[in-house]
Amino acid sequence: MGKVNTLEQAGALVNDRDRLAMGGLLLQRIPGAFTRELARQGKRGLKVMKTAANYDFDLLCLAGCVDEIAAGFVSFEAEFGFAPNFRRSVQEGRVKFDENSCYTVIAALRAAAYGVPFMPIANLGESYLASKFKTVNNPYGNGDGDVLTVPAIYPDWAVLHVQKSDEDGNAIIYGPVFEDLIMARAAKKIILTTEKIVPLTEIQEDIDLAAIPGFKVEAVVEIPNGAFPGACQPNYDYSPESVEEYLTIKDNGALAEYLEKNNP
Amino acid sequence: MSEELNYSKADIMVVTMARLLKDAENAFMGVASNLPFFAIWLAKELYNPNLVWLNIPGRVNPSPSYAPKSTVHAQLSHKGTASVTLAEIFDMSARGELDVAFLSGIQIDFQGYFNLSHISDGTRIMFQFPGGAGSALICANSRRVILWRTRHDKRTFNEKCQVVTASGNVYKVVTSDVVFKKDGPTLQLESIHPHTTFEEVVENTGFPISPAPFTPEPTNEELGLLREFDPENVREIEFLG
Repeated sequence: MGKVNTLEQAGALVNDRDRLAMGGLLLQRIPGAFTRELARQGKRGLKVMKTAANYDFDLLCLAGCVDEIAAGFVSFEAEFGFAPNFRRSVQEGRVKFDENSCYTVIAALRAAAYGVPFMPIANLGESYLASKFKTVNNPYGNGDGDVLTVPAIYPDWAVLHVQKSDEDGNAIIYGPVFEDLIMARAAKKIILTTEKIVPLTEIQEDIDLAAIPGFKVEAVVEIPNGAFPGACQPNYDYSPESVEEYLTIKDNGALAEYLEKNNP
Repeated sequence: MSEELNYSKADIMVVTMARLLKDAENAFMGVASNLPFFAIWLAKELYNPNLVWLNIPGRVNPSPSYAPKSTVHAQLSHKGTASVTLAEIFDMSARGELDVAFLSGIQIDFQGYFNLSHISDGTRIMFQFPGGAGSALICANSRRVILWRTRHDKRTFNEKCQVVTASGNVYKVVTSDVVFKKDGPTLQLESIHPHTTFEEVVENTGFPISPAPFTPEPTNEELGLLREFDPENVREIEFLG
């Protein structure tokens, strides 16, 4: 089997209880189709992380796929309101929300990317989040205080949606990269969904933008509109109607119907 | 008197925040930050063209051709002058290089500490909020933090937040009804928007305040620019729902 897979084959690479860093931010360039595949395959016990999420993490809560979320923010914005299934799952104790600052999510990924056990970070004031992290004495200081640290988190997978990849996973992201490149370096392996699979020669035309290295990519799936209902600029914007439709799902029957209808 | 006013609560909040940016070096806005979006846009148009606009998509000084409902929308990376990623903006904050940052809280206490995390009954979480995004870092390390909140009631403005998501360098708090300034350790009333009264504000604020003058009203120039840029009234979105 080469790296070019069906969505189903790529989804099957993810084991129950794996830790996933999921690319994009809020409704921007998220792996929407891959998220629905995880739900269709009935994954259990996943741990997911990103700085700021809504549709993908909320759907994984609704489908019962996720045990733990590490993030700084999980909500839609003013247009759609709170993420209802995330809230309910946390309030009912089914999902552990390991609230972070977006900055500490990045620090955990950076430590993993740099191959060091923890990252020293700037102070978090009197935030309760500071109590989640340990301090070390600055070994180069003059006894002038402790430094807050964040332990490395090594995701099993970075799951990223990109505009363009070759069949080996050498890929280009256009527009905002958010934390995708840090995730790509922190994770053990990468699963890519891409708007389009192109020949390597086309990647080489923009080679300075090819920041996703094929050598870390385990699977590539071509899915036009793969960020749906999210946006993938400059190709398409998010779909407010489809987000509204998702937010009407109230039970497993409606969820199954939604996953069937929106495949990929 | 409110029926005589020719502007909305969103308008006076935007204009008030824009005027606070007259001398700012740079200003950062995050997710779900519609009113800061308009404030920064207006400040650059009218008061401070050199203001450096920083945002989550990481495009410095974007030129949005319209006002999007999402504040991480592609319009926030339309054109612009350079790219600085979110991680690098946090690094700037850690280095003390963020001048003004806009943040918000679901609960805000008399010290300007705020809660975007949750409410618990001591053992379990009763209300899970969205989380503070980058605010714990940014509030502690930016030079001047402007909090905004479109709701002004005692549930929001209270004596003490149950959970402190972020604290630090709060400078002003602009609400639907008033402006607070942080003076020493506590918030003090600085001005009252003309649609309301001191008595009503006392009624809706969970900590002691002293009388203050009215907030200067938006000018026709400010309102004209906002209405031309935002004919669909996206700036009202935080007041809906």
